[in-house]
Amino acid sequence: MLKARFVRRLIIAVSLLVLAGKSSASVDDAIARAMEAISPYVKQGYLVRDDQWGGDLGVKQEQAITHTLFKGNDYWFCTGTDNESAKISIHVYDSRGRLVETDSWQHGRFAGAHLVAPATGTYYVIVEILSSPAERTHWAMVYGYK
Amino acid sequence: MRMKTRTQISFVAVTLIALSHFLAADAPPRQIDLNRFPATKLDDVVVPLPSEVFNVLDKLGTPDWRGEMRSPNISSRGARAQIALLLGSVVAEGFVAVEAADKERVKAIGRDVLELARAIGVEKTVLSRTNAIVTNADDGDWIGVRRELDGALSDVKSAMIQLRDDQLAHLVSLGGWLRGTEVLTSIVGKSYSPDGADLLNQPDLLKYFQERLAGMPPRLRNNQLVGKIQRSLNEISPLISQKITPASIKRIHEITSDMVKAINSNA
Repeated sequence: MLKARFVRRLIIAVSLLVLAGKSSASVDDAIARAMEAISPYVKQGYLVRDDQWGGDLGVKQEQAITHTLFKGNDYWFCTGTDNESAKISIHVYDSRGRLVETDSWQHGRFAGAHLVAPATGTYYVIVEILSSPAERTHWAMVYGYK
Repeated sequence: MRMKTRTQISFVAVTLIALSHFLAADAPPRQIDLNRFPATKLDDVVVPLPSEVFNVLDKLGTPDWRGEMRSPNISSRGARAQIALLLGSVVAEGFVAVEAADKERVKAIGRDVLELARAIGVEKTVLSRTNAIVTNADDGDWIGVRRELDGALSDVKSAMIQLRDDQLAHLVSLGGWLRGTEVLTSIVGKSYSPDGADLLNQPDLLKYFQERLAGMPPRLRNNQLVGKIQRSLNEISPLISQKITPASIKRIHEITSDMVKAINSNA
């Protein structure tokens, strides 16, 4: 069983060389979907970081990404999966375990969460595969800020 | 008529109840117990880009950015560890020059980034970025310069990871964090405010850097500069794990200034 893992843009590129074609395409596709999810916010002035995080998860499995956010910065975190029938969610919690997002949405294989960081510190961005016809579903997360 | 109204009210009520159940089913918990963390954590933490920090500094009034500028001494470079640290700190310096709107300094930093990238074997990766830094600086496109500086940092680190030199990629990030923290503590120290001090609340990020240094192979851990930085981070750690006071800001500034000087000094 593949273990969910941290990936970055060029690690993914390297992985493409060693993984089977279908699997690589899935990772790439998840990244493309995450970028699709965040694209409306680019038009609103958010700078999208040129790095991605992701891996693969089973249904009802969650993955947390630890992130230092800065007070007053405005963030959108968006995620997408390679499986068009999957359902994914993304939410943001602070270092005391409180849900801190001010807005979130979920549309099938896409999801997003928004917050203006109320304090500088550690936050947890939690991604969950809510449902999927596949045993493992590739996902990717990107974020933008302004 | 009354019957119809009742039916309509019942329909609305049932719809609202069904909708609330539907929403509740997908609603995330308002609170999670971090001691019984519901999710698997990724091994790494996200190291923020310099522009995320400077984005906040923009909102802290109008500091004397020219007074914060330093001239990196890139000719002093020694081992690859020092070059990596220097590269990160030079990129952070680029953000200071952007804040000061100093075109010539920004262009010089673009050239420095290219030279350091060449010294570490990843020149091709950043060539287009450094050209864009110079062009954008000429055009006064400061947002563009920031974007390219962030991009240069990410590209250099990715290239190092691709070359299986992850350790050096961590040092690039650390070099940027040290110079960024030196500037941040200088600005906040000159005009203390709880909001400004709050920007230093980065214990997990510091812990991440400490763990990366501790996990480095002996050839890097035994490097004099890396060892010095490791000891300095251990000194900063308790200062940002409690309420951040003007005194702790002053001390963090002294430590980070000392480290940035060491990174810029002759090997």
